[in-house]
Amino acid sequence: MLIAEPTISLDDLFDADHALDARPSFTSMTDAIAALRAAEERADWLQMVIDTGNDAYVSMSITGEILAWNKRAAELFGWTAAEVIGERLANTILPPANANDGVCRVKQLVAIQGAGKRVEIEATTRDGRKLPVEVSIAPMRRGSSFVMNAFIHDISARRELQAQLTHAQRMESVGQLSAGIAHEINTPTQYVGDNARFLGESFRDLLDVLQAYGALADAVRGGQDAQAALTNVEDAIEAAELDYLTDEIELAIQQSLEGVHRVASIVRAMKEFSHPGTVEKKPTNLNACVRNTVTVATNEWKYVATVEFDLDEHLPLTPCLPGDLNQVVLNLIVNAAQAIAEKVGPSPKVKGVIGVATRQADGGVEIEISDTGAGIPQDLQRRIFDPFFTTKDIGVGSGQGLAIARSVVVDKHAGRIDFESALGQGTRFVLWLPLPA
Amino acid sequence: MVQRILFVDDEPKVLTGLQRMLRGYRREWDMHFCDDPERALGLVADGAYDIVVTDMRMPGMDGAELLQQVRKLHPEAVRIVLSGQSDEEKVMRAVGPAHQYLSKPCDPDILQQTIRRAGDISARLREPQLRSLVAGLSSLPSLPAVYLELVSELRREDASIDRVGELISQDVGMTAKVLQLVNSSFFGLPVTVRDAVHAATLLGVDTLRPLVLTAGVFRQLEQSAAPQSLVEEVLHHSLSVGCLARRICQCERADDEVASAALLGGVLHDIGKLILADHFGSRYVKVLRQANSPTVDLCELERQEFGGSHAAVGGFLVGVWGLPHDLVEAIAFHHDPITEKPGAITPLAAVQAANALAKNCEALGIDPFRSPDVSCERLPWRETLTAAPP
Repeated sequence: MLIAEPTISLDDLFDADHALDARPSFTSMTDAIAALRAAEERADWLQMVIDTGNDAYVSMSITGEILAWNKRAAELFGWTAAEVIGERLANTILPPANANDGVCRVKQLVAIQGAGKRVEIEATTRDGRKLPVEVSIAPMRRGSSFVMNAFIHDISARRELQAQLTHAQRMESVGQLSAGIAHEINTPTQYVGDNARFLGESFRDLLDVLQAYGALADAVRGGQDAQAALTNVEDAIEAAELDYLTDEIELAIQQSLEGVHRVASIVRAMKEFSHPGTVEKKPTNLNACVRNTVTVATNEWKYVATVEFDLDEHLPLTPCLPGDLNQVVLNLIVNAAQAIAEKVGPSPKVKGVIGVATRQADGGVEIEISDTGAGIPQDLQRRIFDPFFTTKDIGVGSGQGLAIARSVVVDKHAGRIDFESALGQGTRFVLWLPLPA
Repeated sequence: MVQRILFVDDEPKVLTGLQRMLRGYRREWDMHFCDDPERALGLVADGAYDIVVTDMRMPGMDGAELLQQVRKLHPEAVRIVLSGQSDEEKVMRAVGPAHQYLSKPCDPDILQQTIRRAGDISARLREPQLRSLVAGLSSLPSLPAVYLELVSELRREDASIDRVGELISQDVGMTAKVLQLVNSSFFGLPVTVRDAVHAATLLGVDTLRPLVLTAGVFRQLEQSAAPQSLVEEVLHHSLSVGCLARRICQCERADDEVASAALLGGVLHDIGKLILADHFGSRYVKVLRQANSPTVDLCELERQEFGGSHAAVGGFLVGVWGLPHDLVEAIAFHHDPITEKPGAITPLAAVQAANALAKNCEALGIDPFRSPDVSCERLPWRETLTAAPP
């Protein structure tokens, strides 16, 4: 007879090794039946835990063959347990992007566990949708082999939130910019309108002069009193202040054209800047990007700083997401202007300088944005890329600018973002983006 | 009299544009143009200007600061902002020192009209000290009960704009102030508004809250020389006149616009009394007491004593604040005989008639404000018009 060990607790059940090694022994038939019932109950319990969990549970062999598949997995991916058990993972939720990829991806997944990490991957559902998931894998010894237990958590809501946050930051800066852009457009519109009004009135004055000349011509032609008509012409010229009109009309036209040109260039820069969010990187002229962004942000810097460009005109086209990169450059320029305003005040007599430079370096391109502003205190320097970290007043910044800059440059472009700063001297940010080999 | 006008903008092209556009006025106006606010301040220190028009955001000194200095040096000058800035924070800064706010791009006709009216209004009140006093005002005393209730309503997170508007419309000073803010494009609202509740709704709780709680656009009576009983009396009479003036317009089947201007003209017609009481306190109370006799003309007495009647003073304030022209007339001329043949009813005629009627009602102990069934058809308002004091 086998003697049952009455001490298998729930804790033991969750300890897989212990559970598998446990060999209960029973002293009587009744005990054995009771023990069996208890074991059945425990098995039921475990199954319920697995089936009612919020995460998909998938168990697979080391070669990627699916061994177990809970209800949530069926809901999430669309296959029932009966359909997938015995199938390979590569034929279901991890289809290979190319022929050898399927096996590699499973191997990768297993390897991750060694580092004790959770990993975010893109799984595929039965109807072909891509689903962002977080996977945590634990190996379980089973005899001489291993079984891999994976808990898979749907993170599409979180991804959505992140996307919204990035979008919100962009909207925030668009909102901030719009007041400044309105000002940049309203000023030339004011003087173009005034000049047009002046030109209209001047034209009527000139018509009076022309009419007097016409009368003079008629008088001469008809042999009438030309002297009287000439006096009228001279009076009309004096009344119209012809000398003044001659000078001013030319200037009014010239300045109106300049004004229209100014409005057009701002509108063009805005259109370029807002760049309908491309998802694919495309070869981009970074010099044009930074010039546009500086134009769009004119109202943010022009009262406190001058911008000095030092652009490498031979810069190769750089593959990037222009909309995202514009946002990064904008964030850095606005920061630079605010750092200068912090040092010299909002309406200084002597302005600071924002330097914008591009160059080729280290197998890639660099964009450098420097300022002569207040600088970042030493103790804050390691926190500036943290999300929501800000020293600005409420309503001025949400603390997302540099976090997004880092995410765009490092995560989306495999680039680098570095800075150096000296208190009271200024700050210099350098973005480095790789060029294709 | 030639108006001296100073234009300040850091963009020289804006100044040359204005100079050309206003060239037709070169004989009536002595116009000066300056592209540096510091230099402009020097010009103001050297000689008085009747009107100063400035941009808001400029290097070295912003428009609000410039106008603040102008107010100190020459309080009688009419101060106008012409700005392309839509930043609310900047606008809040201008609320105190600026009389009017125009947005760039500003229609040339509106700019010319605004300057012309500012000039006309200044010409009407020539007594320099009185002009300085009125043009230097940025708020009027409000009754404590209304003021405190407004403040507590605005402090609530779920403040009701209807309630706020209703409170404002029960106070003469607050009504004038919100109309200044709405009609002059401080907050970029492009309509002519003649109704305090409507004005409050347009501004909204989010704008009114900082204006009242931090910028202090309304003022409590405590900080004034005016006795509370006088302020209450003016208010009560003004609300009656407003109410009657509107009913008269309705009897005459006038447009809603005329009727609401008449209501407002009535509510604001004695605003000059508040201004005089606010500044001269007991001295003004004495003048009012003297004028209680039927043989004494209050306006004449005010002119002798202070250099201008309450009607002229009130008209000057709302004119400088850029309120609609028909309202300014209804206030400035409410004691003058109407020279034109009465055709369609105007807010001015309605206010004059209502003023006479209200005085009759008060003498008879009827409260027209609280008895809405008093019909104007039966009230002899036409007779009061012809009987208006010469």
